[in-house]
Amino acid sequence: MADQNKTDTAGKLYNEILSPSELFAARSRSHKIPVRGQKDFFPNDSDEQRQRLEQSLNEHWSLVSEERVERLGNLVKGIWIPSDQIVELQSPAGKFWQTMGFSANAKQCLLPEEALYLMECGNLQVFYRDLPLSIQDGYERFLSSKTISLQQYQVFGHLKRLGYVVNRFNPSSEPSPYMRQLNLPQSRDSAGRQLKRKRSTSPTLSSSHTKARESHTERMEEDECSHEGEKKSTQASPETPGVSTATTRSADEGKGRNWWMTDVLPEPGHRSDHSLSSGSSRWDFRSIVFPDLGSREQLSSCLASPDPSLLPEALAVGACDFALWRQRINLRKVNMSSKDWKREEDKLRRGWDVNKDEEVRRCRNWTEYMELMSRREAKRKGRPAHLWNREVTPLHDPREPISTGELLEKISVIKPTNLLEGASRLKGGDEWRICFNVYQADTVADFKKSNPGKPYARMCVCSFDGPVPDLRAIKLLTFQSGDIPVVFAVVDYGDISFYTFKDFQLPLDVFP
Amino acid sequence: MFFSLDPAPPSRRTGFISLTSLSCAPLAFPSFSSLPAQLMRCLRGLQLLLAMDDCPEGTRVAVGVSLCDSAPLLWRHQDLRQVRSEGLVGALLGSLPRTPRQNGRLGRPLLLLPEEERLLSEQGAAAALPAAEQDGGRADLRLQVEQYEVEQQSSHEEQSILALEDRKSALVRAMSSPGAQSDEALWGRLEALDQSFTFPRSALAVQLSTARSGLSYCPESRAFLQADWPIRTQGGSRREVTYQVFRDLRGRGFYLTSAGKFGGDFLVYPGDPLRFHAHFIAICLPLEECLCLLDVLAVARLGSNVKKTVLLCSPGTDGTVRYTSLQWSGMV
Repeated sequence: MADQNKTDTAGKLYNEILSPSELFAARSRSHKIPVRGQKDFFPNDSDEQRQRLEQSLNEHWSLVSEERVERLGNLVKGIWIPSDQIVELQSPAGKFWQTMGFSANAKQCLLPEEALYLMECGNLQVFYRDLPLSIQDGYERFLSSKTISLQQYQVFGHLKRLGYVVNRFNPSSEPSPYMRQLNLPQSRDSAGRQLKRKRSTSPTLSSSHTKARESHTERMEEDECSHEGEKKSTQASPETPGVSTATTRSADEGKGRNWWMTDVLPEPGHRSDHSLSSGSSRWDFRSIVFPDLGSREQLSSCLASPDPSLLPEALAVGACDFALWRQRINLRKVNMSSKDWKREEDKLRRGWDVNKDEEVRRCRNWTEYMELMSRREAKRKGRPAHLWNREVTPLHDPREPISTGELLEKISVIKPTNLLEGASRLKGGDEWRICFNVYQADTVADFKKSNPGKPYARMCVCSFDGPVPDLRAIKLLTFQSGDIPVVFAVVDYGDISFYTFKDFQLPLDVFP
Repeated sequence: MFFSLDPAPPSRRTGFISLTSLSCAPLAFPSFSSLPAQLMRCLRGLQLLLAMDDCPEGTRVAVGVSLCDSAPLLWRHQDLRQVRSEGLVGALLGSLPRTPRQNGRLGRPLLLLPEEERLLSEQGAAAALPAAEQDGGRADLRLQVEQYEVEQQSSHEEQSILALEDRKSALVRAMSSPGAQSDEALWGRLEALDQSFTFPRSALAVQLSTARSGLSYCPESRAFLQADWPIRTQGGSRREVTYQVFRDLRGRGFYLTSAGKFGGDFLVYPGDPLRFHAHFIAICLPLEECLCLLDVLAVARLGSNVKKTVLLCSPGTDGTVRYTSLQWSGMV
């Protein structure tokens, strides 16, 4: 057997270059993968088993030894540029352009991992010094500490093969937590992208990439900020909110940019001058009564015409018969269960306000109020006073009403925490970082590179040989990722497993 | 919780762990008492096979390993076959050329486990391939480019002839099968085809090579490379322990793959993983290392859940390895 093997290998040793006739024959190659049969439990030396093993191995080797053969017309041609660590396309990109690649200097380019994946898929032929690169060349040249590691590429390829859209994660293009808090629209994402791809510092060229999506005003903004994008983004940081809001507001309001979501209230100062400028101050809303149509008390079925001074000129509004409207609204009395009542009462009690206290309201001056207080204090003396005299006092006065939930919270020794608590104060480490943004496979059809939207998950690549991320690392990554889950892709040679750490709120079985 | 240090009667009824000491040569299968003899036979057979494969020193071809981001990868299918014939499985990493967009079956390159890499290099059976950067001079390069272009041209010509023949035979088949068609008509059609046929450049079938071509093709250069396998430092005493275990189990004829997803060091197969299920999850520990009981319970439980036996493997001082199998067993 060994002899036979030797002659075989001596004949065509490592001849992995196909002849033209072999290449031609490869067009009608099957694309089916042979099914693996049921495995056996134990080798029993039988011929049958040996035959099956031989067949499996033959199938295996024929699959593994198969070379990629493609029609030249179906191949996109690219050139490897080692100085920039990118692949520049020489012929128009294929369908993959929707989810991969970027434009720089009016050229279509691919990141090394994207190029390598497309080479493996048989979509791309990459040349270097006028010679085509083999897949092996691709692995050895494209994967390095300057680009991404082999393990990172394994994860990239695994996810791509499953159909996900995978992009490199770029921390500087993510909105800062402050921006997220304010719900600021992500107008800088294109600028950030350009910063990431260093080759395009010139703003005129960059606009070819960002296309018509951007309005003229935005491009102008980019012009002034693309060179100092860093500076601009620090301006929007928490230290100087006043400055940034003032400038952006005056600049953008006229162009219909909505910087503030309606539910986020601006600072009081801004509000007041806003209302002044719109001239609404002449209306005293306390004196303008809005009719309560749902009221139980029988109103006359007709509303008197409103004060003409409140209406625009040349607009007359007569009396309004609202009987018709009353029929359309739900006038049923709200039936509250005893539980609901209790909840309402609790709400009232919790929002306890000294001004709501009838007795306090009856006081006409400070002296009377102080008298009331001392009277109450005397009444309270009924509690075991000695407990309150010492350094250590009870956590709770039994006379004060309190809900069970609040009491539990009061006596809890270890406070519950969440992943994000204190994360903003942690200093970043280097050993853990997010590598990829992953978008779900079913969004591929309407995926836009310029506006990818929210990722489905973010990937962090590590190996079983390395340590498990500690709480600090998890906090940092979670903070960096915002509301998008961070997934750890753990590479174990050929296998990849995915893990994620989640916040868990212990349910509290106490009502209310 | 009871522990018995003797082979306990196995039972599927769960509850207790039995620790079975297996320091003797053949591995015992606690739950299949009739099998050890068969296994022994099989092992002997395998050893015989290995001995046959062991060619005399010098004639044996070294496997060409190339490093990618410090990972040892095999690229040429002959190399892949050879390491598999020596019982090393490795892990395939690349997309399969036939159907690239799936993860079920992968293709070249093959990643070697650190233990496999070390075993090969200790046997002098592996050689580092030159890195991609060591290219020839400018003139050499121009020559290569010229050669490539000539090859492309001749391939185009040859494929064009093949394509024409293909068309002709299809035409002949199409025109002769329905029956009554005059020969003249057929000849005319063929003539016309000869005249008008063009084979566009875009239809040319080209190969996207998997392995790099060049120097490493002839066996002499491979033998020459055998000598300069770089000594790569393999980290720490833990690796030493896993390597001892790997070598011992491989020496007994087992096939091993990494067992990260089962929480162990190796999955141990009684035969080629293509045809057989793994029987054991090997966990390698130094002999003197203390084990936390909870850890023992965890791995034993996990092993029984995936229907595998957990093996605690510790290399002794005398070069042998001690095996202890862990299994849930019933006590009624």
